[in-house]
Amino acid sequence: MQYVIIGGSAAAISAVESIRSLDREARIDLFSDEETPLFSRVLLPYYVAEELSKPLLNFRTADFFDENRVTAHMGVKVTDLDPKKKTVRTEEGKEYAFDKLLLATGGKAIVPPIPGVDKEGISTLKTMADAERIYNMKGSRAVVIGAGSIGVESCISLTRRGIKATLLEQLGQVMPTVFDAEGAAIVRQRIEDLGIEVFTGEKAVRFTGDRHVAGVVTDNRELPCDMVVLAVGVRPSAELAVQAGLTLGDMKGVRVDETMMTGARDIYAAGDVAETMDIARNTWFLNAIWPCAFEQGRIAGLNMAGQQTLYPGSYRRNSIGNFIGIPAISMGVTQAESCAMASAEDEFREIRVRTKDSYKKLVLRNGKIVGAILVGQTQKAGLMSMLLKKQVYVADCIPLLMSDRLGFMDLLPILRRNADRFSEPEYKELMDTGL
Amino acid sequence: MKVLMVDKEKCTGCHQCELWCGTEIASASREMAVAIHERPQPVPRVYVEGKPFALQCRHCESAPCLDACPNGTMRRDPETGLIYVNEPTCIACWMCVMVCPFGIINPSSSLKVAVKCDRCRSMGYPICAEICPTGALSVVERKDYRKKKF
Repeated sequence: MQYVIIGGSAAAISAVESIRSLDREARIDLFSDEETPLFSRVLLPYYVAEELSKPLLNFRTADFFDENRVTAHMGVKVTDLDPKKKTVRTEEGKEYAFDKLLLATGGKAIVPPIPGVDKEGISTLKTMADAERIYNMKGSRAVVIGAGSIGVESCISLTRRGIKATLLEQLGQVMPTVFDAEGAAIVRQRIEDLGIEVFTGEKAVRFTGDRHVAGVVTDNRELPCDMVVLAVGVRPSAELAVQAGLTLGDMKGVRVDETMMTGARDIYAAGDVAETMDIARNTWFLNAIWPCAFEQGRIAGLNMAGQQTLYPGSYRRNSIGNFIGIPAISMGVTQAESCAMASAEDEFREIRVRTKDSYKKLVLRNGKIVGAILVGQTQKAGLMSMLLKKQVYVADCIPLLMSDRLGFMDLLPILRRNADRFSEPEYKELMDTGL
Repeated sequence: MKVLMVDKEKCTGCHQCELWCGTEIASASREMAVAIHERPQPVPRVYVEGKPFALQCRHCESAPCLDACPNGTMRRDPETGLIYVNEPTCIACWMCVMVCPFGIINPSSSLKVAVKCDRCRSMGYPICAEICPTGALSVVERKDYRKKKF
């Protein structure tokens, strides 16, 4: 057996681990266009903030490839994939044959077509090279375009280094894909308390300056600055999939089945490049987040190594950690309206509880959780995540779910009436207590 | 692998396990009288819940926290199967909190680390089971549910 893995981040490494849990011998060749191995993209804002040095960005130890007997080709781009001959070719023209291949090429940061976007001092934040570029930028004023997770984190990171940062978002609120208006208002207040200027509903139309950026012109004002971070989102790096003729979805990700296999036999895809069935949205979706990449990589790896394992589906999960001083977690859909694929019979319900320093919201479709937002009090967020993933009926337990005192053991009756979906030993042994 | 089980007939909900976990494992002083006054307040890793039942990390076979951790801070001990937080590298991103199906990972904003039960892996035997006045907690082999029952 000969495995080829294209990509070197979460999905790829997770696949290596699961292949090796079943197959210690087979040859694994891993190709990554990043020069730096094993760093966690999620942590790049921490690098920009000077909170983590380079070695601390690693999510596996430096000897990972040796330990797992992986031939890692770092900084090597694969340019051709032939699904019929079952070979890949690198930029240098070297050819490698495979029995099973994983496409984990991830995503690319979107560069919006704004006039002047190619000026110096403007960068996305996706690769190690991006992080180093931003870290080394000189100046005292920055504009961050796009108030998603990366945008907000970049903005706070620059602020922590004494740079005056402005956050610009063309939609009406910060973190529009992560929070509803009420949750976003709390987050925005926190961001502003850190000394960051936030403009929402405002679009960048042009960059000024000669060779180097000197300002951002929006539809309302001009913001003078020395640097710009573009954080308007990612799109799947699907060039290789297109070249190989694999089936893409509406969102231009590689379509995979429940075993993470693409339209071509023995070729799998996982992570930000893969378009999977979204449990909460009940449609195909790109959930380009770390936990999904890791889960999908594991499922792909197990199937590649011959152990049939089915992926239950993806769903969005975001946590903004310690960046804004309070924990804030969100998952699934943020509001009923964002379920575009809802059929007429679907019944939606939103439940909210707001206190002085916390906010909790559940979105239910036909009595099952499809979205949750928790700000302030987040320790029980995982319970919502579990109920969302398992898609069990909870509409008769709303007071319990919204209670501050909710604990896992209170959910046992829900688990018991859906015992077929809770077959993992960790659930069974607690159901067995008879409580 | 072994798991910590609670005998519901014996668990009286006295919270002694929480108190001792907080003192022995979480406090700086390891003296109960002193620990009570410590700031930040020591965070226990066991939660007496519901009816009552002392719940701690279940060390899931397929653990969502291991998938979610973005920098390998959440680790599984290859010998015992126990999952633990490598505190020096925890960046308090709370991704593990977001996915823990039991809600037993505490996002300690004062300590800036995720706090969860590692079943006292450095001591060899969990303090909660050691001190439980009714002997309700014990470490037992995890039942194999895959075995057919006929």
